[in-house]
Amino acid sequence: MNRNSTRYTVAFTFIVCAFFVFFLALANDLTKEKVAANRRFTERSSVLRALGVPFADAGSVDSVYEKEVTELTAGSTVVYRASAEGVPRFARFFSGPALWGTVFGVLAVDAEVGRVSGLQIVSHNETPGLGGRIDESWFKDQFTGERIADAGIRVRQGSGKGDGDSENAEVDAVTGASLTSKFMETMVNGEIAALRKLRDEGGLK
Amino acid sequence: MSAAKKRGKAMTVLIDNLWWNNPVFIQILGICSTLAVTNNLTNTFIMTVGVSLATAFSSWTLAGMNTFIPNKVRMIVQVLVISFYVIIIDIVLRAYMPDVSRSLGPYVGLIITNCIIMGRAEAFARSNPPLISFWDGLTSGFGYMAVLMAIAAVRELLGFGSLFGIPVLSAAFGDRFVPWTIMIMAPSAFFLLALAMWGLKSLQESMKAAPPAAGGAKPQGSAK
Repeated sequence: MNRNSTRYTVAFTFIVCAFFVFFLALANDLTKEKVAANRRFTERSSVLRALGVPFADAGSVDSVYEKEVTELTAGSTVVYRASAEGVPRFARFFSGPALWGTVFGVLAVDAEVGRVSGLQIVSHNETPGLGGRIDESWFKDQFTGERIADAGIRVRQGSGKGDGDSENAEVDAVTGASLTSKFMETMVNGEIAALRKLRDEGGLK
Repeated sequence: MSAAKKRGKAMTVLIDNLWWNNPVFIQILGICSTLAVTNNLTNTFIMTVGVSLATAFSSWTLAGMNTFIPNKVRMIVQVLVISFYVIIIDIVLRAYMPDVSRSLGPYVGLIITNCIIMGRAEAFARSNPPLISFWDGLTSGFGYMAVLMAIAAVRELLGFGSLFGIPVLSAAFGDRFVPWTIMIMAPSAFFLLALAMWGLKSLQESMKAAPPAAGGAKPQGSAK
């Protein structure tokens, strides 16, 4: 058969596409549950860390989560409640645009929305080594126990090594990533406003 | 082809891809990822392993089906096969190495656009049998890996003070170590890559000028 005839070309392209796409679909299907489990593990461990609930190792995340965390449905959103040291805390997933893509994270606060309990990043697409450093513990730990001022939390130019004062409602920005830091500030304060609204509606109980 | 002759060819391919016809500093291919992923060694290593495997398997597959591919849709088929392997790598990373997949983010998908893969498919796999094409793809990946790892070592050491995430300079000098932020950003890769090309090509010139060492591979013209 003539290898350059139109009929052969069309038939060949069709068969080759079908062949490779079949195997891709197969691989995707075989790993679907594993990928979903990984995603659930990341989300659950982030919620636990943000709420300040300790867990021993990766294997105990599911059991600790199911025992400690209550999922409250408030309107269209889900609020995660857990008590750490007898104090109820509330977490919610947030997402927002940053420099290169969407940042997806969890913010946990106390019942009065007066202090942050913790911040975790679930996924982001920021530049590794620059904006990507928002996922490093020195950045996230700054939020733990931080007082929330009326205007929210300010991400300011500091030493770039982390702000240890949890009363000033300020955290250090990431050096070399002014825009990502600014986007984080907008996202965190937007989430604080949303949580305040929930509190006023009686959602944080 | 006899076994000895075949081994000879495999050796020539290896030396060419690592040195005389290195994909990065001679063929100037795959530069986009050289700039993007070389700011830390761990990501660079996984990325270059991914590129090596994708190049090897797509060259192997394309060489195997070469006699059936109509000329008109040659490139479409190449892209199809390459993206097939890259998506497989992405799926495997997401399922079995979620942390790595998270830190590489969109870079894995971008392996598809790495010119080395298409370059080897066009320049080598089209006119060679599958096995040697596999070897050619793999060694091209190694040539790419060698250069990128060298650049990443310099960038991570000066930019973060660490190697493979283990503090080296920052541990040795403590607070006196000031990270070179430029090393984390793309411009530094331009400087380092240019310096590497300059140095390595000068070295090759002086090797060509010197009398050939016994058993050394003959220098070949660079493919563009």
